[in-house]
This record gives sequence, structure tokens and C-alpha cells, in this order.
Amino acid sequence: MKMKLVGLLGFTILLSGCAATQKPMYEYGDYSESFYALKRDAGDENTVKWKSSLENIITKSSEQSLRVPPGVYANLGFIHLKANDNNKAVEYFELEKKIYPEAEVFMNNLIKKANVQG
Amino acid sequence: MSLFNLLKPVLVLVFASTLLTACVSPTYVTKGTEFPGMYTEKPKSLLIMPPINLSTAADAKDYYSTTVEMPVAFHGYYTFPYELTAAVLKEQGIYDSELVYDIPLNKFQEYFGADAVLFTKIVKWDTSYAVVASNLTVSIEAEIKSTKTSEVLWSYTGTVVVDLSGNSGGGGLVGLLANAIVTAINTASADYTTYAKQANARFIYSVPVGPYHPQYLKDQNIKIIQQTK
Repeated sequence: MKMKLVGLLGFTILLSGCAATQKPMYEYGDYSESFYALKRDAGDENTVKWKSSLENIITKSSEQSLRVPPGVYANLGFIHLKANDNNKAVEYFELEKKIYPEAEVFMNNLIKKANVQG
Repeated sequence: MSLFNLLKPVLVLVFASTLLTACVSPTYVTKGTEFPGMYTEKPKSLLIMPPINLSTAADAKDYYSTTVEMPVAFHGYYTFPYELTAAVLKEQGIYDSELVYDIPLNKFQEYFGADAVLFTKIVKWDTSYAVVASNLTVSIEAEIKSTKTSEVLWSYTGTVVVDLSGNSGGGGLVGLLANAIVTAINTASADYTTYAKQANARFIYSVPVGPYHPQYLKDQNIKIIQQTK
């Protein structure tokens, strides 16, 4: 019984711990919605929305002095890579690598690809 | 009085106790004892693989895939951008994760620099064809495998059962039909990703948190419900 109480207390503390966090870890804007829309229909309209949603995340994150969520810069780089705007693509891949060292190997491979393409 | 009516209180009681046992009986284990590999290998980055779809809903794979990145990132891991990695994998002929599940995963370390790979399996994703059923189930099995050893470091399942009956209409056949119609409408317009996100939350909580989380390497003693395989 006592164990259960302790467990419950622990759980409550955990819950309140989450609720009390003042600043969110990341600002994802409408990432989820625009990504879903893109998967439902990858037409021009949703592609444009996807791109602006990613750009919005960057703006909003900097307004709140938050780290840009993982992959956002890289996704933007990929959009520019597909549009053959290789300089812009490399710029974004570099930014991803700069804030996330975990991405270095992958970003370097993409930068190589962009440079070959460009 | 029919036999059913006679037995009704008993049935209700049996049903209620089944529910109760389901709530009270789980065995709790700690993250540290259940998933020690996560604490010894300390993966920092997770490559999210295209979901393996065992459900009958063909579109579940694409829709579900949009729901995984965010919660895993909030859990403290570097998540590779799915839209981009899925395209790269597709270029390499890997559209179905079934193809790579059993092979050595060090390739993903080499090309992506990923410490570990996250496999998700859509076990159940009810479609709108099941209109008479008033429940919608989304169930996801997930596994984290090391790219160094290809060993499973973590695995868990998240299931959500949603009551779509709308609670309208009385008893009898008319009520049943009305409910079926309401269900059809609800199911058609249901954004499955809402339920998928709930299912995700039910397995992600059991993952030891990653390096961007304040509790990194401090959550070994957090209790989780033990799942039997």
C-alpha cells in the first residue's frame, strides 16, 4: 500500500514537473499539420505551405530564443536542393550541422551531393 | 424475465472487474532494468525508419509517418528529418523497412551518422469500412536498434481504442442504425493522426530520455508498465 502511494506521489510529481516547465523545448508551429497535408496531397499548394511552415518555425524559435528543432534547417535545405538552388541548400545544411553535431555525417554527405550537382 | 436479464448484473460485474484488473494489475519495472542498453550505449540520434504497415489501411503508412518525429525530439533525441531521410532511403531502394529490419544496421551509422534506428510497426489502424464497429483502434509497436550492434535497445507498444459511437440515440434497432451512421461520419472525418499521436505517447514515455532532455541519464528509476512480448 505504501509502495503504491509512493508510486502515485512520484507520478504526480512527474506530471506536475511537466506542467510546470515554463518554456517549451521547441517551437514546432504547424509542422505536424503541414507535414500531414503534404503526405495527403503533395501538390504545389501543400508544398509551398510546408516550406513556409518550416521558415515560420525558424522565425518563431528565434523570437523565443529557442533552439530550432532537429531537422528543420535540413528539411529546408532539401527543398532548395530539389529546386536546384544548391548554394541555399548548402547554407541550410551547414546550419543544421552547426546546431546539431549529431547531423554532421549526414549533412556532409548532402553538401557533397549539392556541390556535385551545382 | 429472460435469462439474459437475469444474468445481466453478473455480466456487468464480470465486465467491470475485468476492467478493474486491467487497470490495477500491471507490473511496474524501471527504465534502467528494462532497457539497460539505452544507458550503456547512450544513443544521441535516432533515424526514424518508414513505418512497417501491417494494417489493412494502405494510406496509414504515409499519414502515420508524419507523427513520429516531434514527440521523439521532445523526448531529447536528435531526430533526422524524416521527409529527407525517407527520400534518401527510397533512392537507395529502401521503401519498406521490412527489407532492412534483419540486416546489420551499421550502414545507417556510415551514411547518416545515426547512433540508433527507430522502427515502427502499425499493427492496427482501423479504417472507415468498419462502420458498424463503434471502436477505432490504432496500435503501434516500436523498437530502437543500435547501429553498432544491431541489437534491440528498447521496445514497447502503444495502443489507443477510441469510442466513436457518438453516444447518441437510444436503444433498439433505430438507435443502433443511428449510431452506425454517426460512427461512419465520425470515422470518415476522423483525423487518424490524432489517435496515432496518443498511441505514440503511450510508448514514448517508456524510452529513456535523450541528451537534449534535462533528465538525461537521470531517469533509470522511473517506473514504467512492463509489457510482455
